[in-house]
Amino acid sequence: MRKKMFRGKKYFIEALWEGLLKISGSVTSIIIILIVLFLFSEGMGIFKKKVVEDGYVIAVNKNNPVKDLSPEQIKNIFDVKIVSWKELGVNINEDEISLLRLDDIPNYFPEDQIAEDMSNLPQIISQILKEHPGMIAFIPEDFAKKGFSEKVLDLGNINLKEFFGGKEWFPTAQPAPQFGVIPIVMGTLWVSLGAILIALPFGIAVSIYSAELASKKVHKILKPVIELLAGIPSVVYGFFGLIVIVPLIQKVFNLDVGETGLAGSIVLAIMALPTIITIAEDALRSTPRAMKEASLALGANKWQTILKVTIPYSISGITAGVVLGIGRAIGETMAVLMVTGNAAVIPHTLLEPVRTIPATIAAELGEAPKGGAHYEALFVLGCILFIITLIINLVVEYISSKNKNKVA
Amino acid sequence: MYNIDVNNLNFYYGEFHALKDISMSIEKNSVTAFIGPSGCGKSTFLRLFNRMNDLIPDIRMTGEVNIDGRNIYDKDILVDELRKEVGMVFQKPNPFPKTIFENVAYGLRVNGEKNKKVIEERVVDSLKGAALWDEVKDKLKKSAFELSGGQQQRLCIARALAVAPKIILMDEPASALDPISTLKIEELIFQLKKDYTIVIVTHNMQQAARVSDKTAFFYLGELVEYDFTEKIFTNPSKEATQNYITGRFG
Repeated sequence: MRKKMFRGKKYFIEALWEGLLKISGSVTSIIIILIVLFLFSEGMGIFKKKVVEDGYVIAVNKNNPVKDLSPEQIKNIFDVKIVSWKELGVNINEDEISLLRLDDIPNYFPEDQIAEDMSNLPQIISQILKEHPGMIAFIPEDFAKKGFSEKVLDLGNINLKEFFGGKEWFPTAQPAPQFGVIPIVMGTLWVSLGAILIALPFGIAVSIYSAELASKKVHKILKPVIELLAGIPSVVYGFFGLIVIVPLIQKVFNLDVGETGLAGSIVLAIMALPTIITIAEDALRSTPRAMKEASLALGANKWQTILKVTIPYSISGITAGVVLGIGRAIGETMAVLMVTGNAAVIPHTLLEPVRTIPATIAAELGEAPKGGAHYEALFVLGCILFIITLIINLVVEYISSKNKNKVA
Repeated sequence: MYNIDVNNLNFYYGEFHALKDISMSIEKNSVTAFIGPSGCGKSTFLRLFNRMNDLIPDIRMTGEVNIDGRNIYDKDILVDELRKEVGMVFQKPNPFPKTIFENVAYGLRVNGEKNKKVIEERVVDSLKGAALWDEVKDKLKKSAFELSGGQQQRLCIARALAVAPKIILMDEPASALDPISTLKIEELIFQLKKDYTIVIVTHNMQQAARVSDKTAFFYLGELVEYDFTEKIFTNPSKEATQNYITGRFG
């Protein structure tokens, strides 16, 4: 009887532990899923937003046949880059486009008559538009309702094509903010690609040296130094990049500004190195001694053994290290923000300023009103980043799960 | 006519005196077995012949190992050239994660052989030499890991043969194998004898008795007795040898 009780107590404690572990596991998973859901639900709101700034509309003369304008066209019209309706494929008797913002109304209408009572503004604007068939007006929604007789353009919502195919990122543009993510995604990919091109040869060289060639003494110093590299806060790297690398690039390439994609790539390469080196070195070290001895016993020298046996044997581990290094580079924010110049233009070379996804989110989220299109656009950027890193992680999973004994 | 000549050899792992003043001569085209309890230094001794011990840090040695009349520990000896002359088969089969063909071709490739035809011929010859050809001739492009343990070990022997060594060192080549595979390896050793000098380390007394011409008994880093196999196993001159081969210790 006593023995039975004892066993019951023991079982209870075991079950308690098991339960606790289970709970902590599920809580973590749920939190992660909630974060992802939050990210996507906030982001998807943007595709329900109007093309034009919230609370405003675009209006034209009643007889103007224009039906649809893209955000880019609207921006160009109001930037006076498009000045005639012909350019938009619209035939109208007054071809020249004239603009009407609220501030412009006094130019067309005696100011003292407006000031009396704002309620007659719809009529006033209607009248102005009637007199100018080629005019386009950017006005608050309220003035386009009661008593407004001209045509309000139904421009629809921001759509996927404009978002993912747009070449301009200018979220504070008036009247139509520009949410083209191409320059930012391209910036991210360029900087990361550059970082990998720099980090790859260095990382693999150092890991081979450290795993295969370095004496015990050297290894004892090298390893902690590399691990220390991983522990330096990214803002310090950014600082270093700003003070050392940026001026250096400016001088070497004789540029107007040194804040370029290349500077970001170099800083990121330095930051990705510890990941690449540590994982690749572990992989190289996991090559069984028997394998290396077999090669040496056949008369292969040290280099042949490294190239033909050690590296092929550990290639999946090395690749995993490199891909994780890229992952770190893509998600890195602070250092990149500090050295890349943050110009949201599609980069053609690494010697131009670029802007990355994380840097954009970090720099702009503070000034984007919550719930607005800009705010939601930043969340979509977050989703894009999430998907990129997810793909990278899946690639790592796939590579590391591949059978090591595959035929090389 | 001796192939291997060892003179007054002492070997240390750090402070540990692993081999004590050993001298012995190994004849050409013979099979010599090293026996002795674990830790007696027989594997260490074997690995001196192709300088495999060079890979271990913190070692020290005195004395000479002469192969074909040259001290292989001379400064001007190229270790990788030496290892082409002195092949080795290890305790556990250790094929490369490559195809069967590439495993055998490896030694030729690292020696700079580029001619495809020569490589093919050598691979086939070596596989035949290792009595493996009939079993693998249809799956040369398959991974070496698909072979059984015994086949893998014969593949490792073929791999060693491909480089055309003069001496083959075998470090307990059958200890990880089943009896049938062991028998095949032993038959193979017997056949290889006419072309190669073979030195084999083994824990299996019967195996030493079956395959070797001469047997050396090591104990605590010393060469206790070295004589014709028949004499060692029937009428050893030292008591320690007698005790060991009759299983009274070790």
